[in-house]
Amino acid sequence: MSSHQWYRAAGAIGIAAVVMAGCASVPKPTEQIAVSNSAITNASRAGGAEFAPVEMRSAQDKMARAHQAMAKEDYEDARRLAEEAQADAMLAEKKAESAKARKAAVVMGDDIRVLREEINRKSK
Amino acid sequence: MKNNRILPLTLVVAAVLAGCSSLPANNSLLDEARNDYSIAQANPQVTSLAAGELRQAGNSLDKANSAWSKDESKAKVDHLAYVAKQEVAIARETADQKAAELAVSNATAERDAVRLEGRTREAEYAQRSAQISQRQSEAAERDARDSQRQSEASQRSAEASQRQAEAQTQAANIAQLNAQDARQQAEAAQDRALQLEAQLKAMEATKTERGMVVTLGDVLFDTDEAQLKSGGVHNVQKLADFFRQYPQRNVMIEGFTDSTGSDSHNQNLSDRRADSVRTALLGMGMGSERITWRGYGESYPVASNDTAAGRQQNRRVEMIVSDDNGKIAPR
Repeated sequence: MSSHQWYRAAGAIGIAAVVMAGCASVPKPTEQIAVSNSAITNASRAGGAEFAPVEMRSAQDKMARAHQAMAKEDYEDARRLAEEAQADAMLAEKKAESAKARKAAVVMGDDIRVLREEINRKSK
Repeated sequence: MKNNRILPLTLVVAAVLAGCSSLPANNSLLDEARNDYSIAQANPQVTSLAAGELRQAGNSLDKANSAWSKDESKAKVDHLAYVAKQEVAIARETADQKAAELAVSNATAERDAVRLEGRTREAEYAQRSAQISQRQSEAAERDARDSQRQSEASQRSAEASQRQAEAQTQAANIAQLNAQDARQQAEAAQDRALQLEAQLKAMEATKTERGMVVTLGDVLFDTDEAQLKSGGVHNVQKLADFFRQYPQRNVMIEGFTDSTGSDSHNQNLSDRRADSVRTALLGMGMGSERITWRGYGESYPVASNDTAAGRQQNRRVEMIVSDDNGKIAPR
């Protein structure tokens, strides 16, 4: 093996190391996928489809794309999509919860009004 | 050929210079995220109720800004900006939810207060109702008492009327009785007067101006003596009975003779004969205070002394019955 050949071998090893390092810096976002799936389940349970249909659809759509990216081993894209899906799902859950809370407040206000009217009628 | 080598180099230099001298091109998604974040930060409800969520969104926005200022790939900046934007929205919704929950919790307290007020009012209402009922029953009781008092008063006045009526009846009865009494008394008085007259008539009394006079004739005495014969005693007895019945009447006994014999003898005989009758009446129970007596001798003859029959008539004792007041007119 000539020195020229050594250089070539060293270059090939270096490139391989760089490539491997590149692979190691974009790990498989398995954990994030699980977290995002869980967020979507929670949002769905909270009534996201009813109270925040846009966010729910977006989350589910992004989750589907994340799974496709995972299949293509495009892990960076998969992570971003999963993170966005999680944000969408969390927002959908919050929207559902706040809508329910506002509804409860309205119902309670109505209850109080009815109660007050009843009392006023009774006491007359 | 030289030109061909120089051109790429110039472009690279230009690109490097451009990279150093100017900021990366605007990212519309990042602009939106920044804008949303600053609006949320200005909202006190979000800063107070969703501070943690807003901080999280701020951190994400910092990352996006950092990536953008490092001119990292548009995809990465877009991604980070999107996440930050959604997290701002999450902070906003969280604040909304907490505000609504606070409202519900306040409303619960308010509802409890209203319910309490309702119960208080119900209690007050019940109390008022009870008071009204009590007042009504008291009024009814007062009415009942009034009615009773009125009926008692009516009864009393009825009783008073009855008593008055009874009193009037009694008064009428008494008046009737009095009238009867008066009539009976009048009748009795009349009866007595008739009886008196009848009795005196039976004794052969005669009516004179001085009153009824019963005469005891000479034959009822022993001759020329004062002693009464049994027939004379009988007549005196009848007279005594009469005076017992009429105790208010008195008697005057007067003795007379005829003109035969001396005056003194005649006076003495007439005295003794009057006294004899008086003694007889006293013996029969008549009070001495009711009897006056005297002899008149031969005075006051009732017939002629010339004949035997006339002289016999003149020898007599007269008993004059007084009026009801016990008075006798003097001779």
